[in-house]
Amino acid sequence: MSREGKEPLLVVDGLTKHFPVRSGFLVEHTVDLVKAVDGVDFAVERGTTLGLVGESGSGKSTTGYCVLQLLRPTAGSVRFDGRELTELKGEELRRMRREMQIVFQDPYSSLNPRMTVGDIVSEPLEVHGSGTRRSRRETVRLLLDVVGFDPSFTNRYPHEFSGGQRQRIGIARALALNPKLIVCDEPVSALDVSIQAQILNLLRDLQRDFGLTYLFIAHDLAVVRAMSDTIAVMNQGRIVEAGPAEQVYTSPQDEYTKALLSAVPVADPRRQRERKAKRRRLRHALAEGF
Amino acid sequence: MAVNPQQEELRERVLTRSGGGVDAGAPIRQTSLWRDAWYRYRANRAAVIAGGLFLLLVVYVVFAPILSPYDPYGVDFSQAYQPISWSHPLGTDQYGRDLFTRTALGGRISIGIGFAATIAIMGIGILYGSISGFVGGRLDNGMMRFLDALYGLPYLPFAIIVTQLFQTVNFWVMVTALTIASWFTAARVVRGQIISLKENDYVRAARAVGARWYRILARHLLPNTLGVLIVFAFLELPGVILGEAFLSFIGLGINPPQASWGSLAQDGRDVYLAHPTMILIPSVAIAWLILCAFFIADGLRDALDPRTRET
Amino acid sequence: MALLEVRDLRTYFATRDGDVRAVDGVSFSVERGRTLGIVGESGCGKSVTALSIMGLIPKPPARIVSGSIQFDGKVLTQLREAELENLRGREMAMIFQDPMTSLNPTLTIGTQITETLRRHLGMSARDADRRAVELLEEVRIPRAQERLKDYPHRYSGGMRQRVMIAIALSCNPKLLIADEPTTALDVTVQAGVLDLLEELREEHQMAMIVITHDMGVVAEAADDVVVMYAGQIVEQASSLGLFDRPEHPYTEALLGALPSLEGEGGREARLASIPGRPPDLLDPQAACRFAPRCPFAGLNDYCSVEAPELRELRPGHWVRSAHPASERAPV
Repeated sequence: MSREGKEPLLVVDGLTKHFPVRSGFLVEHTVDLVKAVDGVDFAVERGTTLGLVGESGSGKSTTGYCVLQLLRPTAGSVRFDGRELTELKGEELRRMRREMQIVFQDPYSSLNPRMTVGDIVSEPLEVHGSGTRRSRRETVRLLLDVVGFDPSFTNRYPHEFSGGQRQRIGIARALALNPKLIVCDEPVSALDVSIQAQILNLLRDLQRDFGLTYLFIAHDLAVVRAMSDTIAVMNQGRIVEAGPAEQVYTSPQDEYTKALLSAVPVADPRRQRERKAKRRRLRHALAEGF
Repeated sequence: MAVNPQQEELRERVLTRSGGGVDAGAPIRQTSLWRDAWYRYRANRAAVIAGGLFLLLVVYVVFAPILSPYDPYGVDFSQAYQPISWSHPLGTDQYGRDLFTRTALGGRISIGIGFAATIAIMGIGILYGSISGFVGGRLDNGMMRFLDALYGLPYLPFAIIVTQLFQTVNFWVMVTALTIASWFTAARVVRGQIISLKENDYVRAARAVGARWYRILARHLLPNTLGVLIVFAFLELPGVILGEAFLSFIGLGINPPQASWGSLAQDGRDVYLAHPTMILIPSVAIAWLILCAFFIADGLRDALDPRTRET
Repeated sequence: MALLEVRDLRTYFATRDGDVRAVDGVSFSVERGRTLGIVGESGCGKSVTALSIMGLIPKPPARIVSGSIQFDGKVLTQLREAELENLRGREMAMIFQDPMTSLNPTLTIGTQITETLRRHLGMSARDADRRAVELLEEVRIPRAQERLKDYPHRYSGGMRQRVMIAIALSCNPKLLIADEPTTALDVTVQAGVLDLLEELREEHQMAMIVITHDMGVVAEAADDVVVMYAGQIVEQASSLGLFDRPEHPYTEALLGALPSLEGEGGREARLASIPGRPPDLLDPQAACRFAPRCPFAGLNDYCSVEAPELRELRPGHWVRSAHPASERAPV
């Protein structure tokens, strides 16, 4: 997976997404605009992970959906593998969807409770008419095995499994079409720490084995650090700082990034005391927002 | 359907990858959703009793006319207005016809109309509501405003008008009239469900994969509305039955010799002082059915409520 | 004497398939002016412990099977509901995880605060209003006087949590229990809330129990720590002691599974993951509950046969394990 000389897999330029706030009695008109994503630029090289980090309301999830065209951007360009996604529609867009998939945050609402595990994972294959029923069943078994989920349970329903197990099912589903890019939207936020580690390790292994590119969206800075090659910090719809992961973590430039980093509690009481003092100083420097 | 090169590549990668992941383990709970629902239903004692009484009524309505030795249409004035006895468990009417049998037959019509109309209502409601809820935007707006306008029409006069469009009022005419007059709320309920279900991540996942709208609707949205719709159907049933009963009672319903509980009650209307059983019996039957339906709906709501189903 | 003493608490939930032993023999104490952190993953029993102390467990299906809870000399487990209600809110207070659902959306913030004041302290309406403003100012809500009349939906998550804290502190309780107070909040807001809690604890000289799954929050807020697993305490120590030298394999694994914000690590570090899942609390085996997932369990057979007792490894440092770190032979 050589990176020199090739265009990055994903290039986002000036991405904007506005949500109109409508009001009105019989005829609705727009009274205000929520600028969820306000001019975002970044690029992700093949086989690497870009960590998109920010607090709630920063627009990171919306950015992820816009990249995948699950929400159509208000403006801006999304170039994926050389093609401009914002111009694609209908059948062309559907075909493109095979190359980019998503893993969701909530293991409880990301799987249809009325479908069996096997059906859930094979749905992408069915939708694109891949293979015969038998070959699809076989592929499903392979996929579940890859994510560490026992394939003998394909006839069970999601509610019979724990959060971590359900996330694995979701990951298997995302892999089914052999995509190049996977958007991971807070994939471990709803999981316990020990399960979180399992899933993060799994995602890293899969990236290595399948040459995947990740757009990893999260609010947990430590988790993002464990996964990312490059990082972009978002605040109120804009990227305030971006760069190689270690650089941003060890020498942040932007005030917001600094505040964010100092606010994360670290599992070391002595260190935590120092950081608390530092945080207090920073708080006086930054305008109070909360 | 050809296997595409992507699939081949995936398979190769899977088979040649290094190492294995940590095993996720066995399912943590092994009950079926339906069995859990059944347990919750059973916990509601009133619902269980109501279910039993309802079944009893259905058995009566189905089998009594078959097993009865009497001719429900035969006229024999010598037997008119017999009191309750072993040979006539519910007495006889003004024509000497056995009421036990006639009530059962009437029950077939009433319950039949009730269920048929309810099913039709749910059908139209699902069609209208899912289109409106799924498409959203201006179409949804327009469809709902239209519905609002229809709500303004008074229910019974509307039903009456529909029945008058046909020459005779038979079973299917009644079903049609009642359906047309009462499908609005069903459409609303379905639309509400679809709108809230649309926000679920699994719907987004289906879209991310490229599923077309009909697949999303049929596979992801409608099956998950099932619980709510079943409860709602059992709440619609009493309304429809009462509607039919009322129409028949005022003489605008089922034509004789076919009888429904409403028309049986009408038969007894003029003689209620002398022979109260003639109006009491069908009234009790209607009340029985309606009460059962309400309690069953209550039990079903406990059983199928999505909020209690989580985790 | 400690302000709060919990001895061998057992809280079980009756279910269709038997008793779920949510809390199965937990003992700890909390001194005035100190913060105890109870840490563990979901299902370990930490929330149920807190609810048991407050008397807020749903009486069927849950019940306190055995054990005692002593607060300020009174034995809570023997009090009647009415007496418990007097204590609740007044001497012991609790704040919950989700500030979105903890406040009544149909009452103004002012009403919700003054309600407590009038119930427990018998204040008049005017006095209660004045005190409510003072409280909001104490939790650093700007323009407190005006904001009394607002409804909860006009407050952000962080502010709502502060209101919860204000309500909890309104009667000057001796003990404050915070159940995952920061989990639903953004990181920057989280830090503010934790800072606030510490300051208030100092000022009011309260004892505090912070329940969390986040080791970082524990490091920040707690003086002493209790680690829970499968309804039991598996390690108990001072905060410094626990993080300096964790003993129980579960604690070690938990700390190892945390991605780190600083230091070596980052992209290359492999996160220690604990294989498997916590045991079913319906019928926990008589043996060590962590054994199936413990990397050291194979060493001898004790672990799958006999449950280890909680023993004091060092002064103030207790472990429930046959293989604590300091007893393992160096590799």
